[in-house]
Amino acid sequence: MKLIKDVLGNLNGVIQKNKFLAKFKPVLNAMDEFFFGTSRVTSLPYILDYIDIKRFMSFVVIALIPATLAAIYFWGLHILAMIIVSYAFGGMVEVAFAITRKKEIHEGFLVTGLIFPLILPPATPLWVVAVGVVFGVLFGKEVFGGTGRNIFNPAIVGRVFLTIAFPKIMTLNWPLPSIGVGADAITGATPLALFKSQSIVNSYGNLLFGFCSGSAGETFRIGLIAGGIFLILTRIIDWRIPLAALSTIFVFPHLSNHFFHTTFAPGLFQILSGGVLLGAFFMATDPVTAPFTKSGRWIGGIFLGVLTVLIRGLSGYVEGLVFSILLLNACTPLIDTLVLKVRYRRK
Amino acid sequence: MLKPFRTFKGGYRFKNYAGQPAPVLIEADIPKQVVVPLRQGFSSEVKATVKAGDAVFAGQIIGRDDESISSPVHSPVNGIVENIKRMNYFKRDINMVLIRTTNSSREITRLPGYASEWWKLSNEKIEELIYLSGVSSLDREGIPTRFKSSIVQPADVNHLIIHGVGSEPYNISLDLLLEGKNFLNFFEGIKILKRLMPNSKVHLALNARKPKLIEQFVKLTSQIEWLDIYPLEPKYPQGYDEILVPTILHQKFPYGYSAANIGIVVLNIQAVLGVYKAVAEGLPLIERIIAFCGPAMKENIHLKVRTGTLLGDLFYGKLKGERPPRVVLNSLLTGVLMNDFSLPIDRSFTQIIAIEENNKREFLSFMRPGLRRDSYTRTFLSKLFPNIKKIADTNQHGEERPCITCNFCEEICPVGIIPHLLSKYVKKGFIDETIMNYGIFNCIECGLCSFVCPSKIPLVKYMKAGHEKLIMQGCDQAQCILPYFNLKGLEEYRGVTKL
Repeated sequence: MKLIKDVLGNLNGVIQKNKFLAKFKPVLNAMDEFFFGTSRVTSLPYILDYIDIKRFMSFVVIALIPATLAAIYFWGLHILAMIIVSYAFGGMVEVAFAITRKKEIHEGFLVTGLIFPLILPPATPLWVVAVGVVFGVLFGKEVFGGTGRNIFNPAIVGRVFLTIAFPKIMTLNWPLPSIGVGADAITGATPLALFKSQSIVNSYGNLLFGFCSGSAGETFRIGLIAGGIFLILTRIIDWRIPLAALSTIFVFPHLSNHFFHTTFAPGLFQILSGGVLLGAFFMATDPVTAPFTKSGRWIGGIFLGVLTVLIRGLSGYVEGLVFSILLLNACTPLIDTLVLKVRYRRK
Repeated sequence: MLKPFRTFKGGYRFKNYAGQPAPVLIEADIPKQVVVPLRQGFSSEVKATVKAGDAVFAGQIIGRDDESISSPVHSPVNGIVENIKRMNYFKRDINMVLIRTTNSSREITRLPGYASEWWKLSNEKIEELIYLSGVSSLDREGIPTRFKSSIVQPADVNHLIIHGVGSEPYNISLDLLLEGKNFLNFFEGIKILKRLMPNSKVHLALNARKPKLIEQFVKLTSQIEWLDIYPLEPKYPQGYDEILVPTILHQKFPYGYSAANIGIVVLNIQAVLGVYKAVAEGLPLIERIIAFCGPAMKENIHLKVRTGTLLGDLFYGKLKGERPPRVVLNSLLTGVLMNDFSLPIDRSFTQIIAIEENNKREFLSFMRPGLRRDSYTRTFLSKLFPNIKKIADTNQHGEERPCITCNFCEEICPVGIIPHLLSKYVKKGFIDETIMNYGIFNCIECGLCSFVCPSKIPLVKYMKAGHEKLIMQGCDQAQCILPYFNLKGLEEYRGVTKL
């Protein structure tokens, strides 16, 4: 503790002298706040809740730990490298904007930097990760004014950009996990792609424990469910969006599958394949970009579910979740305004 | 009759804070000198009826004004009036009477005409005793009598709510107030009030976590059909009139006006005990039980003190630590700061809370397990171990950040408005009918939204600023209230008294 204090103090001395380095003051301040907390006192009310944004965001990171560890276990250290690249390059964009705006660095990036590599195919080259996260943070968040003002989830923006810009890399790199599956199989289509091409429904056990191909963080579904429930219990995320989205994704395809066997996969398979659990628990619930009204959250969740199933079943794309979340983010202000209009209509 | 348990939407239960007052009552010494403000509780300032040099006795009326809405003020000690001067008392300039004690006997001169068998007294006499004792100035709108002590007349009162819910982080002990014979006296006090306000139905709201007390009351009152007992959850801000009325009566509240405007009188337990003491024992209101609580107080007890005692005298040797702690009156969320120890206490004080001024930085503060940290979220271990006492200090526990619309403020808001949305409108300067429509006038400034915000945004400040700016632009809460309510006593008085 003393050591960190000394290092920060010395660094502060160094950058004070140099005109160019003085611009990096926000970085130092952010580190100082990170390690030592605040000395500010309250005015009215005289006591404040102990929760702050740092703890808020670190709980999302904690909830993602099982899925992250599983990803590293399944696909090796490449995942770890992807996470490091994502944090480094995304952090650079964040710092660059903080310096030019002369504002503090905000903690929202802690989550974006981890989620982004988890929604990429496990064999994505590192330079693609870097390009994606830079684009995502830049055009998903910073151009709108930084944390709290962004319309779109930055991780999703980066993912959609990569899907459109590098379709080959993003659709063909689906290695199977190095354990639990036959040793001769090295690459394979994702469960959703298998259903689309051959109407094969993977076993639910394999899907739950992650013995199938898919994005890095989405396959260890037991861990995702546990993490999501943990976040709901700690009140970090609201239960309405995941519940509405998951029940729609279960009920709607259940009915459609009855009539169109080959277009729509059965309900439980829909939930347990692709990024539905990761998206419903960790990305659609991002408080900044999701509707804030309670009824808006129900509407948003149902909207997300219906859209995901429709894109999966009827479009040329295999996975519809990222597009649905992006569309939901775009519709969020509309949903909230409508809900408020109805709630506060003049009598 | 015992009614089923009920509660309201939103709110937060402050559980088990360190430094709760023990149910112990100690009588404070008679002060050597007192300063009596001529405006105490719900009352306008009264005219002094004494002048410098006069000898006064404990219980003598030293200020009275029968023209305005007010109640008399008494001398709390036997002594000599030294001076009458204007002083700043809680942001208002009012006249104060300085009295030097000459005889420190505890005797209090009784009011004329009281009777321990109060039911033999006439209604007029009871009203007069309540008014002359000064009890009629207690609580938000006072107790109505024909002497203009409240904004309504006793016959206009439809509902009388008496509450001892105790929803603040620190509360005066209910067990202590209703200990021993006070329990029966309290009940007699309710009967007196019922006789004073014959058209009213009496509602007694008690803390649902005190089942023994509720049982005792139910036994005592089973035969009485004009009295209902409501066990309420001690969830902040249940003790506010604005929340009590909808919870108990299922009736809308005219936010920005007082409960008396719709014919409801809300009283505390101490006020009812005061009524009994005035009518049956003839005691004027010059003593008050005050809870001294909070972790920065050496002893957490209750003191029976004379009104007018200086804070400095009361606090002498009672506070912990080298640095002065933060001393707050009545509520940690909305209370007034008491920096100036040369000010006196008055009738309206219930509890004085001292918490440590904590501007110390803490290493990796946000990663601590938090066994003793209170939070609306369940991200601290304290939620798993509710028996461990929680800390209250003045650290902000985090940096200001932009709003991330986590919606905690809406979830916790007891009047169902959306503070983060309104604060954004106010911040950007969009002050118009929209925010009135979104219910900014409903805000009761309970402080919960600021308390709960993880981004440490001072939401209550924005709400107050928006409210003021809106009024400056000519939008008044009257527009949202008057068309929907039939308010009484409006010509007498506008708005709620706020410190």
